Amino acid sequence: MKMEEVSMSSLDNSKLEALAQDILSDLVEDACLGLCFEVHRAVKQGYFFLDDTDQESMRDFEIVDQPGLDVFGQVYNQWKNKECVCPNCSRSIAASRFAPHLEKCLGMGRNSSRIANRRIVTGNNNNNKSESDQEDNDDVNDNDWSYGAEKKAKKRKSDKVHLYITICDCFSLYYQSVLVYICFYKIYFFIVC
Amino acid sequence: MSKDSQMRAAINQKLIEMGERERLKELLRAKLVECGWKDQLKAHCKDVIREKGLEHVTVEDLVTEVTPKGRALVPDSVKKELLQRIRAFLAQHATL
Repeated sequence: MKMEEVSMSSLDNSKLEALAQDILSDLVEDACLGLCFEVHRAVKQGYFFLDDTDQESMRDFEIVDQPGLDVFGQVYNQWKNKECVCPNCSRSIAASRFAPHLEKCLGMGRNSSRIANRRIVTGNNNNNKSESDQEDNDDVNDNDWSYGAEKKAKKRKSDKVHLYITICDCFSLYYQSVLVYICFYKIYFFIVC
Repeated sequence: MSKDSQMRAAINQKLIEMGERERLKELLRAKLVECGWKDQLKAHCKDVIREKGLEHVTVEDLVTEVTPKGRALVPDSVKKELLQRIRAFLAQHATL
C-alpha cells in the first residue's frame, strides 16, 4: 500500500474526526485487553486475591482516633514522667534526664567527674597517697583523653622558650654591635688626634 | 476495498511504523493508572471472578464483562488529551 494514495483532498474534517475516534477506541480496547490478560494471569497463578483480607483482621488494625491515644491505641506519652533509679548512686531521676546523669555518675563521656570524685575520696584518707599518685600518672598518660591537650600545651611551652631565646639573641647582637661601634669610634679619635 | 478503508489501513500502518501508536498506548496506560481507572476495573474484575468461580473464569469472560465498562470509565480529560495527540499526528501525516 502506498502512502501517496492517502491525500488530504479525500479527507474532510468529519472523516478525520471519525478516524481519530476509531484510533482512540482501538487504544482503549487494547488497554482493556491488557488488563484482562493481567487479571486472568493473576487469577490462574493465584495471586489476584492476595491483597484481600477478611473484615475481622482489618478491624484489628483499624486506625484509632481518640484523644490521648496514638494511631495504634497506645498512650503516647506514658513514659514522659517515669522515673528511673540510678544503679550507681541509687537516686531516682526523671527518665529524660537519666542518660546524662548516668554519664556523669559513672564517669564516662567528656565531662567526667570520676577523677574529681576519686581525688575527694583519696583526699579524705591521705594514708594511701602512693596509690593516688599512681592514678594521677595514669590519667596523665591516658592517651585516649588527654593526648591532644597535652600536645598542645607542650607545643605552647616550647614556643615560649623559643621566643625567649630569639629575644636574647637579638639583645646580645645589639650589644655586640654597639661595642664594636664604640671601639671603632675610639680608634678614629686616636688617629685624628 | 473501498478507498476509505484503504486510507484507514494506511494511516494505521503509518501509526505503527512511526512508533506513535506505541507511545500513545504508553501514555494512555499511564493516564489510566493515574486516574484510578485500573483500580476500578480491577474491583469489577473481582466481582466477575467471584460470580463465575475462580476455576472457571476465562479471558473471554473477562473481556466481555470488562470492555464495555472500561470504555465508559475512561475520563473525558484523558480522552481529550489522546484525541489531541491523534489529531496532531493525522494533520502531520495525512497530507503526505
